[in-house]
Amino acid sequence: MIKTVDLEKVFFGRGQEVRAVDGITSHIKSGEVVVVIGPSGSGKSTYLRCLNGLETLTGGHVHVDGVDLADRKTDMNKVRREVGMVFQQFNLFPHKTVLENLVLAQMKVRKRSRADAEIKGRALLVKVGIAEKEQEYPTRLSGGQQQRVAIARALAMDPKVMLFDEPTSALDPEMVGEVLEVMKQLAREGMTMVVVTHEMGFAREVADRVLFMDYGKLVEEGTPEHFFTNPQEERAKLFLGQVL
Amino acid sequence: MLVLAGIVAGLWVATKRIDYTWRWNRVPQYFFYNNQDVKSATFAGTVAKLESKGNVTTVTVHNENGENSTYIIDTDTANLKADEYLLKGDSVGSISQWKAGPLMAGLWVTLYISAAASVIGLFIGVITGLCRVSQNLTLRQLSITYIEIIRGTPLLVQLFIFYFFLGTVLNIGRMPSGIFALGIFAGAYVAEIIRAGIQSISKGQMEAARSLGMNASQAMVYIILPQAFKRTLPPLAGQFISLIKDSSLVSVIAITDLTKSGREVITSTFAVFEIWFVVALLYLILTFSLSQVIAWVERRLAVSD
Ligand SMILES: Nc1ncnc2c1ncn2[C@@H]1O[C@H](COP(=O)(O)OP(=O)(O)O)[C@@H](O)[C@H]1O
Ligand SMILES: [Mg+2]
Repeated sequence: MIKTVDLEKVFFGRGQEVRAVDGITSHIKSGEVVVVIGPSGSGKSTYLRCLNGLETLTGGHVHVDGVDLADRKTDMNKVRREVGMVFQQFNLFPHKTVLENLVLAQMKVRKRSRADAEIKGRALLVKVGIAEKEQEYPTRLSGGQQQRVAIARALAMDPKVMLFDEPTSALDPEMVGEVLEVMKQLAREGMTMVVVTHEMGFAREVADRVLFMDYGKLVEEGTPEHFFTNPQEERAKLFLGQVL
Repeated sequence: MLVLAGIVAGLWVATKRIDYTWRWNRVPQYFFYNNQDVKSATFAGTVAKLESKGNVTTVTVHNENGENSTYIIDTDTANLKADEYLLKGDSVGSISQWKAGPLMAGLWVTLYISAAASVIGLFIGVITGLCRVSQNLTLRQLSITYIEIIRGTPLLVQLFIFYFFLGTVLNIGRMPSGIFALGIFAGAYVAEIIRAGIQSISKGQMEAARSLGMNASQAMVYIILPQAFKRTLPPLAGQFISLIKDSSLVSVIAITDLTKSGREVITSTFAVFEIWFVVALLYLILTFSLSQVIAWVERRLAVSD
């Protein structure tokens, strides 16, 4: 589904270079739930953003469904509509109602009729459990509700894979559960997912595979059991010691 | 209120001291005046028909060649009888009409120039503002150059350049010269307002739009600009209010706007104080109406806050 080969992203700024992602080769298979963990600043977000071309690569390749994002002839917009993304800060469109948030891109990108887009949008709002809020503006919703709308908005494009960048990190603790619940349901339905999170419980329960990153490198990967009970790398052990 | 009364009283005392005679009664005629238009016969003939309908009378004059001509006059000025003989040039009667005086005409010109220049300024400003934040280096530098040139030179000088240089070279009249000069002037400021508005929208909005598969221009049009527009409304309002006031400078290239009408009226009335106060009040009415309209739009847009 998504393959990265020697993926590299270097930021140049103020005379110094930051190797945010430093040679990651990974393969996310269709239907798989992959959780990416690692200390803050280790390049998890940058890695994720490279997968849908939000960052331009400085080296290596990303293949999404066989399409190479490093190829300059690739139509990024075409790739991105197949790759849903959910952000830590929700990033809902504040000037649109909840339903409009779900409808807009369907109409403009997928060229669906308003009626079809609304049917799809309402169905997804039911699915994430906020059907009654469709005419509200996002700022009137709680964080957890906003994040569920954001998930629904991404799903409305019928993506083949969903990327989550710390979807629960900006939420009050009592709202984390409702968002994770939606994500678990998605995983059960067989959605391909790449999730950056600090929710170790979620990783244990849902992940097929865990990637551990540090200093832009993929330090260790394996099944949750393997990773949480028997990590091989020193840095992974150290990290787990801090978070568990 | 007390302060205001104090100021008015102070002014009154001050004008008393310089022996100024206020002639407010002279002012209204420069807004509207009653114009007596005397109708005279265009050829000699006899009055064939007199038809009175309320205040106006239609007079039909007929001559031996079978020609007819009709005149519409006020009934109370019609002292003709049927079959009366008229020579060419004889008065048939007169009709009075209310006409807009120079101040009204000037107000209209100011309104027209400001509105036209605002539209041009908004158009140029949005395009330049977009160029200013674009990835393309050439576009960015072109827009910066334009903004710097316009903001770095006085509007008065720009008006003269437009009128005397471009007006002559491109052979355009003073009115278009004035409007374009003002529009291009406002455009530079609008561009900076738009740029600031766009940059004030968090990067996450663009990223969210792009990750849904929208291309850059769709994201701009549907996501970024509507939000930026809402935020830039107050500074844009200020800019357009400035534009109304700055439009008074076009009087230097002999456009008879509100300011120039005021000056012309003063030369014939010597009611210097009255006319300038009235002119100021008229500008105030224009700017205040504009800010009310914008405040209303702002309230409408505030529903999503
Ligand atoms: N746009 C950027 N410009 C410069 N440096 C960046 C940028 N984005 C991220 N970085 C740097 O890249 C490194 C990895 O960041 P990030 O991917 O956000 O880490 P994580 O998500 O694991 O916390 C950090 O050192 C960060 O400062
Ligand atoms: Mg991050």
